[in-house]
Amino acid sequence: MNVATVTTTPTVMHAPVDAAGLSERISIRGLNFYYGENRALKDITLSLYAGKVTAFIGPSGCGKSTLLRVLNRMYDLYPNQRAEGHVDLDGDDILSPKQDLNLLRARIGMVFQKPTPFPMSIYENIAFGIRLYERLSRSELDERVESALRRAALWEEVKNKLNANGLSLSGGQQQRLCIARTVAVQPEVILFDEPCSALDPISTAKIEGLIDELKAEYTIVIVTHNMQQAARVSDFTAFMYMGELVEFDTTSKMFTAPHDRRTQDYITGRFG
Amino acid sequence: MKTANKRYAARRRTNSVTMVLSVAATLFGVGWLVLILGVLLYEGLSGLSLRVFTEMTPPPGAAGGLLNAIMGSLVLTGLAVLIGTPIGILAGTYMAEYGRHDRLTSVVRFVNDILLSAPSIVIGLFIYEVMVFPMGHFSGWAGAVALAVIVVPVVVRTTEDMLTLVPDSLREAAASIGLPRSLMITRIAYRAAKAGMVTGVLLAVARISGETAPLLFTALNNQFWNSNLNAPMSSLPVVIFQFALSPYKDWQALAWTGALIITFAVLALSIVARTLTASRKQS
Repeated sequence: MNVATVTTTPTVMHAPVDAAGLSERISIRGLNFYYGENRALKDITLSLYAGKVTAFIGPSGCGKSTLLRVLNRMYDLYPNQRAEGHVDLDGDDILSPKQDLNLLRARIGMVFQKPTPFPMSIYENIAFGIRLYERLSRSELDERVESALRRAALWEEVKNKLNANGLSLSGGQQQRLCIARTVAVQPEVILFDEPCSALDPISTAKIEGLIDELKAEYTIVIVTHNMQQAARVSDFTAFMYMGELVEFDTTSKMFTAPHDRRTQDYITGRFG
Repeated sequence: MKTANKRYAARRRTNSVTMVLSVAATLFGVGWLVLILGVLLYEGLSGLSLRVFTEMTPPPGAAGGLLNAIMGSLVLTGLAVLIGTPIGILAGTYMAEYGRHDRLTSVVRFVNDILLSAPSIVIGLFIYEVMVFPMGHFSGWAGAVALAVIVVPVVVRTTEDMLTLVPDSLREAAASIGLPRSLMITRIAYRAAKAGMVTGVLLAVARISGETAPLLFTALNNQFWNSNLNAPMSSLPVVIFQFALSPYKDWQALAWTGALIITFAVLALSIVARTLTASRKQS
């Protein structure tokens, strides 16, 4: 099927998700995003539920990373990027100019595509973020660092070299260090931007296992290029195409009985 | 099958000619350097003794050393770095972190590049006009400020370059845990760029430690021990300049020794700078 004709079909709004028993943590309503004049997100409306993993999938350039970076206002670091619409975190307007970005980002943590440990020791990598918001005694801090590293399944591997430079770890370990660093700040939401795309299958499996454990306490959003990964780790899946949200539903439904033709084509590997 | 045809032979000839020419050019360049260092070592070492580091510059015909000049150089260079480095680092930080996309940054970068290649004698004259003339006398302060004006553009440039090399992903990671910009810069970006920034300061020191022209108009010279920054102050380059031009043999010998000391001090700094840069690449 020709992709060009696909794009001309009107956007089918996603089937309403049965929201019984779900609590909405982030609510996105009529979101548009611009890189200068270029409109990268078109009228996105979406709910992210507490304690669930939501995956954003879609071909390169569809806007899924852009959408993720709206949620913690990361785009604010750069000029000529702006978002319009409504994004609420528990009723708090994220896009408001009055929003305190540092506090917002402490509430919505992020793990990046490439591991980005800070140029300091493993211990400091974790302690650094904690000290920003809390005044703790040395022993309390030690405890928090340990528990964060345990949460990220890294403690056993690094407990004897906490003073080693974070950059001396392997790629997979670095990524888990970054997850530990994010968890240590005790956010409510964690955003994963293709967290496994630079990792080998074993490290990937570890990270996926972690995401599964973390969702009990955090609301998790993951952008991924890997359809199997979306199917494995997520409860909900949003399929995006050309800046539009094509379909949003439970992952099981999306991967077995998608509504939209484009979703089906992408999931079965016919384009993208 | 390919055979050694005419085109191939021509290409081989071009290759040999080019290689001979570039080797010759290299030898010519390196040859002069070796000659300079050789003469410097030969002339300088013969005058090198403990006395050079313990006695003041002598009047013609008497024995003496370079202690006041060495101390003067250390004081002037040290002060220049103390004045110039903070200004340079702050300006470079603004350009790389806060104002990366601002018009002001491109203007400052342009002006800074001009200052970077400004003849140092012009800087000496400028400080003469704004400091020496109003104060009514030459002084160590004026010398230090003149050298600081040379330090600033070097440090601005390396600071901006090194901070620009820090990947945005690290800045985003810092922001993602709620780090305010000021802490992101001082605790993360500076740390990542540290080796390069220190190298910049060392290069600036190397640059000013041989400067003569700006000191002639500002610190001038002093034959005696002087720790008063409000009075004229001795320095190695100016002493070398004065002694080398003199008709006295023992002064000329001291000038050679002074040149040797400066050269090796700068060489040592360059080696430290290179080692730092190399260790940055490894990590």
